[in-house]
Amino acid sequence: MRILFKTSYLDDIRLFRHGGNIFWYGLLAVCLLLAPAVLREFYVGELSQVFILAIAGVGLMLLIGYTGLASLGHGAFMGIGAYVNTYLITKGVPFVVSFPVAGLAALAAGVAVALPANRMTGIYLAIATLAFSQIVEQVVVRWESVTRGFQGMPVPPPDLFGHRLATAWEFYYLCLVVLVVVVLGAINLTRSPTGRAMVAIRDSEISAQSLGVNLVRYKTIAFAISAFITGLAGALFAHKLKFISPDAFNIILSIQLLLMVVVGGLGSIHGAIFGAIFVGGLPQAIALMRDYLPGAIAKTPGLEPGLFGLVMILIVLFEPLGIYGRWLKIKAYFDYFPLYRRATFKRQRSYLKTERVR
Amino acid sequence: MSVIEANRGAVVAGAREGAGRPLFEARDISISFGGIRAVDGVTFDVREGEIFAIVGPNGAGKSTIFNLISRIYEPTGGRLIFQGTDITNVPPHMIAGRGIARTFQNIELFEHATVLDNLLIGRHCRSHPNILKELLFTRGVVEEELRNRAAVEEVIDFLALANYREQRISGLPYGVRKVVELARALCAEPKLLLLDEPASGLNTEETEEVAFWIEDINKDLGITVIMIEHDMSLVSAVSNRVLALNNGRTLALGSPSEVQSDPAVIEAYLGGDAE
Repeated sequence: MRILFKTSYLDDIRLFRHGGNIFWYGLLAVCLLLAPAVLREFYVGELSQVFILAIAGVGLMLLIGYTGLASLGHGAFMGIGAYVNTYLITKGVPFVVSFPVAGLAALAAGVAVALPANRMTGIYLAIATLAFSQIVEQVVVRWESVTRGFQGMPVPPPDLFGHRLATAWEFYYLCLVVLVVVVLGAINLTRSPTGRAMVAIRDSEISAQSLGVNLVRYKTIAFAISAFITGLAGALFAHKLKFISPDAFNIILSIQLLLMVVVGGLGSIHGAIFGAIFVGGLPQAIALMRDYLPGAIAKTPGLEPGLFGLVMILIVLFEPLGIYGRWLKIKAYFDYFPLYRRATFKRQRSYLKTERVR
Repeated sequence: MSVIEANRGAVVAGAREGAGRPLFEARDISISFGGIRAVDGVTFDVREGEIFAIVGPNGAGKSTIFNLISRIYEPTGGRLIFQGTDITNVPPHMIAGRGIARTFQNIELFEHATVLDNLLIGRHCRSHPNILKELLFTRGVVEEELRNRAAVEEVIDFLALANYREQRISGLPYGVRKVVELARALCAEPKLLLLDEPASGLNTEETEEVAFWIEDINKDLGITVIMIEHDMSLVSAVSNRVLALNNGRTLALGSPSEVQSDPAVIEAYLGGDAE
């Protein structure tokens, strides 16, 4: 068990709280940097996919897990990012410009959604964002002069200062860098007044307001940042897919993102990452498992979605704080061994509130 | 300047300029919900440095008055004056910045955050968030964080909450939550503190403790207090003046003993004379 002896207020706002932290995150960084040298190209691609999901997950986590605003429309923000980025690149705009612009376009859409959404919470907000994603999908389908509708658009590989990132490992590093930057930004935000204001809105709007938090302002900021990050993920996603069409960004993607943050663990950046590993990695794990299963089971159609759903249900039933919650418990078990008590985590409750009467 | 020091300065200044001038005034305020007049033409003033209590039976409109002062409700008539300026049209999130902090009848803490984070959110109206600087966590942000933390630590010392600093609210007992909510309000460096039933749900010893704290906040920090309370022993122990309400109207206004012996108040609590 580690006992921290704090000698300065700085100890509580540091990025790494102790040496162990630095060691483990350093090890993780080394592994991730070396991964393309060791893994087969297919798995490098799959890891990039997990990174992209994680970026979108961090964006959605800030909105759902930290501000307590549900969204069923984040697939649409990814779509906006993807289409804006692709359109600009086909018009000859370099990636270093089109990429942030794609994020900003999603940010603008986020603000547009936030303005009416400020009057709604819980399930009503979820429905409103769902409606928004339908609108975006229809616009993408009909606005053929820009999006080419159902024909779809091929996406050229990203171009960095004249160098085409055509190989899987180059794209892998691009996604990794974006993910690290996004995660650092999110961590900085959550340890600053703005992040605390978001948590305040999540837990009690009325007392947040009476302590000076401008609800409209901070909800709009949460939507804007969340949409921006998700838009960036969308832009990368387009490059990953290499070909985009409206059905890549439909409600299924939105639900997948929502599942990701809930399964990962609401209210933590770790949760978004764990959720992305789960959503991005489980289909591969199941596909690998297929080879070792008896033929009758392995050939059953719908095995993947079935198992996926089963794991989901188990997590929601038995671990309301998701994979990250379980991770904390396992860590506490070893930290306090043999003194761990089950009751330590007894009072937990899930964050997502469907309604709140003030 | 620290929270405690800032307020001590205010006490001295207040004494010099002559304490007792009105800090807050409610002039003829009313609000109706549908056909019900929850508050109906109530007028009172709270003097600087005073502990002012509002009493009355359930549904008398006490908490509604608090919600009117914190601007959660829009009054249908009347004016609210704080430090000589009209705050009737100030948006609700600006009230804390003006120097009015409050607690809630059914504790409204941030359940899933630690005590420390709750108190730091209390500093919100005294910080100057800049989203771009925060994303980069610049030196300026760090320095402001350290200043906020120092201010919060003073309140933690003042209310003896050091043992609970790192704990989540969801794991804290009721009595401690009450104190944390009080601490959170103090972190906003208020001039006027609204306490909505500070002793409800507390046992006798805890109530006595709250009485000491209210007096300390008033005497040592120089904060003017308006409190809603049912416990008449607490009211008469700490408050200078009492406003008694019933059905949204003023029944009596005066010292605790005057109000307690007022026939209208006795009638409201015990029912009319059955002759």
